[in-house]
Amino acid sequence: MGLVESFLIYGAITGAVYALLAVGFTLIYGVADVVNMAHGAFYMLGAYIFFSFALELFQLNLYLALILAAIAVGIIASVIHRIFIDPIAEDIIATLVVTVGVALMLQQVMTIVYGIGHVEIPPFLPGSIVIADVTVTYSKILAVAVSLILFFTLWTFMRKAKVGAAMRAAAQDREVAMLMGINTTRLHMLTMAISGSFAAVAGVMISSSTSQMADPFMWLFPLVMSFSIVILGGLGNVKGTFVGALIVGFAETGVVTFVPEGTYLKGAAALAIMVAVLLLRPRGLFGKHIELED
Amino acid sequence: MVTTYLTRAYRSFAIHVLDVPSRLLALLLFQPLLFLPMVLPTSASTNYLLSVLVFGSLSAIFAASWDLLVGRCGQMTLGHAIFFGLGSYVTTMAWVYLGWPIWATIPLAVLITTLASLFIGFPALRVKGPYLALISMALPLIATSLIFYFKDVTGGENGLPMPISGRFFPQMNVFDLRTGEYYLTLLLVAVSGIILYKIAISRTGMVFVSILDDELASKACGINVTKYKMMAFAISAAFASLSGAVYAHILTVASPFAMGTTRSFFVVIMTVFGGMGTIAGGIVGAYLIHFIDSYVLRVIVDVPVEWHPFIFIGIVVIFILKWPRGITRFVTDGLEDLAEEREIEERGAHIWKKYKRKKKSTPEG
Repeated sequence: MGLVESFLIYGAITGAVYALLAVGFTLIYGVADVVNMAHGAFYMLGAYIFFSFALELFQLNLYLALILAAIAVGIIASVIHRIFIDPIAEDIIATLVVTVGVALMLQQVMTIVYGIGHVEIPPFLPGSIVIADVTVTYSKILAVAVSLILFFTLWTFMRKAKVGAAMRAAAQDREVAMLMGINTTRLHMLTMAISGSFAAVAGVMISSSTSQMADPFMWLFPLVMSFSIVILGGLGNVKGTFVGALIVGFAETGVVTFVPEGTYLKGAAALAIMVAVLLLRPRGLFGKHIELED
Repeated sequence: MVTTYLTRAYRSFAIHVLDVPSRLLALLLFQPLLFLPMVLPTSASTNYLLSVLVFGSLSAIFAASWDLLVGRCGQMTLGHAIFFGLGSYVTTMAWVYLGWPIWATIPLAVLITTLASLFIGFPALRVKGPYLALISMALPLIATSLIFYFKDVTGGENGLPMPISGRFFPQMNVFDLRTGEYYLTLLLVAVSGIILYKIAISRTGMVFVSILDDELASKACGINVTKYKMMAFAISAAFASLSGAVYAHILTVASPFAMGTTRSFFVVIMTVFGGMGTIAGGIVGAYLIHFIDSYVLRVIVDVPVEWHPFIFIGIVVIFILKWPRGITRFVTDGLEDLAEEREIEERGAHIWKKYKRKKKSTPEG
C-alpha cells in the first residue's frame, strides 16, 4: 500500500471524526464562554456507558446503545453544568479548576465502578474494504458517516431552528439575549447537553473503530486534541472547527506515516501546529464565532 | 460560661495577632514544622510523614512561583509543570552525562530553565485569556512527546535514573537522610517564599498587579508590558525549576511524570485552595493538600485507594465553589472582621457607620 494514499485516506478519516469530537468544545465556549476541561471526560463517559448498555448490563443492540449513551451523557453534562459550572461561569480560572476537578472525579468514578483496567468496546461492523490499495475497516467508514451527519445536522440546527438562533443570540451578547426573553441558563444547559452527547458519540465511534477499548484515563488525549483543533479554528467558531479538525487529522496521520517511530510524536505534531498558528494569528485561523455572529 | 471566656480569649488573641507584623505570624506558623523531626520518634511512620512534608515543601515552592505568575501577573498558564520537568531533566542530565557535583547541577538547571522560559513565555506576549491557558497546557505535552521520541538520551517513559550517590546526603541512613532533606527543603521554602513575597510587594510586583488588572491601561501609563511579562515568566520559571531540580535529586530519577498534566492541574488546585494572589496562599495550600492527600486519607482515615482521590477532589471542588477566595483569605478576613467587631464594641456607634460603609465599598480581591 502506498504511503501517500494511506496518508490521504487516514488523514481525512481522522479529521472527520475529530470534527465531531471538537465541535462540542467550541460550541459551549461560543455560547456560554465556558472552557470545558471536562469535555474529554464526557468522551470517556460515553464509551463506558455504551459498554455497559451494549455488553455488560443489557446486551442491547449496538446502535440503540449508542443513542442511549449519547442521551445519558447529555443529561449528565447538563446536570454538571447546572450544579458546578453555572454558579462560577463568570470566573474563567474557577471554571477551569472546577471542570478539571469534575473530569478527575468522573475518572475516579469510572475507576471505582469498572476497575482500573480497560473495557472492550465492540466494533459496529466487521469487515473492511480496499480503497486505492488502502484497507479501511467498515467501522471507520461508519464513524466518518456518523460524524459528518451529526456535524451538519448541528450546522443546520444552528442556522435554521429557533433554538439555534437563540444560541447565536446568546453567543453574541448574553445580557441582550436575556432581555429578549431567552432563558440563558436553560439554553446553556441545553448547549452543554448537545456538547456532551456529541463528545459521547465521538468517544464510542473513535474507540470502537481504533483501539476497541476504553480506560478511565483516556480523557486527556481527546481533550488535548479537541482544544488544539478548536484553537486552530478559533474558539467558538463551528466552521473553523471543521477545518481545524482536518488540519490536525492530516498532521497527525502524516507524522505517524512518514516519520520513523512517529507514534510518539502524534500529539506533539498537532500541538506544534497549534502553537505556530497562534503565534502568527493570535485568534486562530478564523477568529471567534464568525457564523455565530452573522 | 467556659465558652464565653474562651471566645473572649480567642477574640483578644485575634486582635493581637493582627497587631503582630506579618513575618512574625508566618514564623509562628512555621515554627511547629521546624521542630517536627526532633519531637517525633525515629520510626517508619515518622519517616513517611517527613517524606510527605518534603514533597509538600517542593510543591509549596512550585505553587508560590505559579501564584506569582498567575495570581499576581494574570498570565493564566496551565502548563507550569514544564519548568518543573525541565529543571529535573537538566540537573539529572548534567549529573549523569557531565558528572558535575550536585551544587553545580541545580544552579545550572535553574539558569537553563530561566533562559528557556524566555522562549516559552514568548507566546504569552501574543495570546491571552483561555488561548494562553490552552497553549501553555500544550507545551509540556509536546515536551513529553519529545522525551519519548529521543529515548536514547532521556530514558523515555521510565525516565533517566541516577545512582544512589545522586542524593543530597549519600552517606546517611534512611531516617537521617529524610531529616536532612526535610530541613533542606524547608529552608528552600522559607528563602524562596520570602524572595517571591518581596518581589510581589515591590514596585515590580505592583506593575505585575497593574498588568493583571488592566493591560491596556498599564501600557497607556508608559509601562513596558512585554518586559514585565517576560520578567514574571523568568522569575516564576526559576523557582519552579529549583523545586524540580531538588525533586529529581530526592527521587534520584528524572521522569516524564515530573512534567505531567496532573502536576500542572494540582498546582492550580493548591493555589486556589490556599488563595490566589497571596504568595502565602500557594504555600499553605500546597502543604495542606499534600497532607490531606498523602497523610490524612492514607494513614489516619485509611480510605481505600480508589476512593481517595475522588473524595479529595470532591472536597476541593466544593471548597472552590463555596469559598473561591481561598483558605488564607478566609482566615485573615475572619480575623479582621473579629477585630472590627471588637473595635465597634469598644468605641461606639460612629465606628459602626464607618464599618458599614467600608463593608459596602470593599472591592473583591
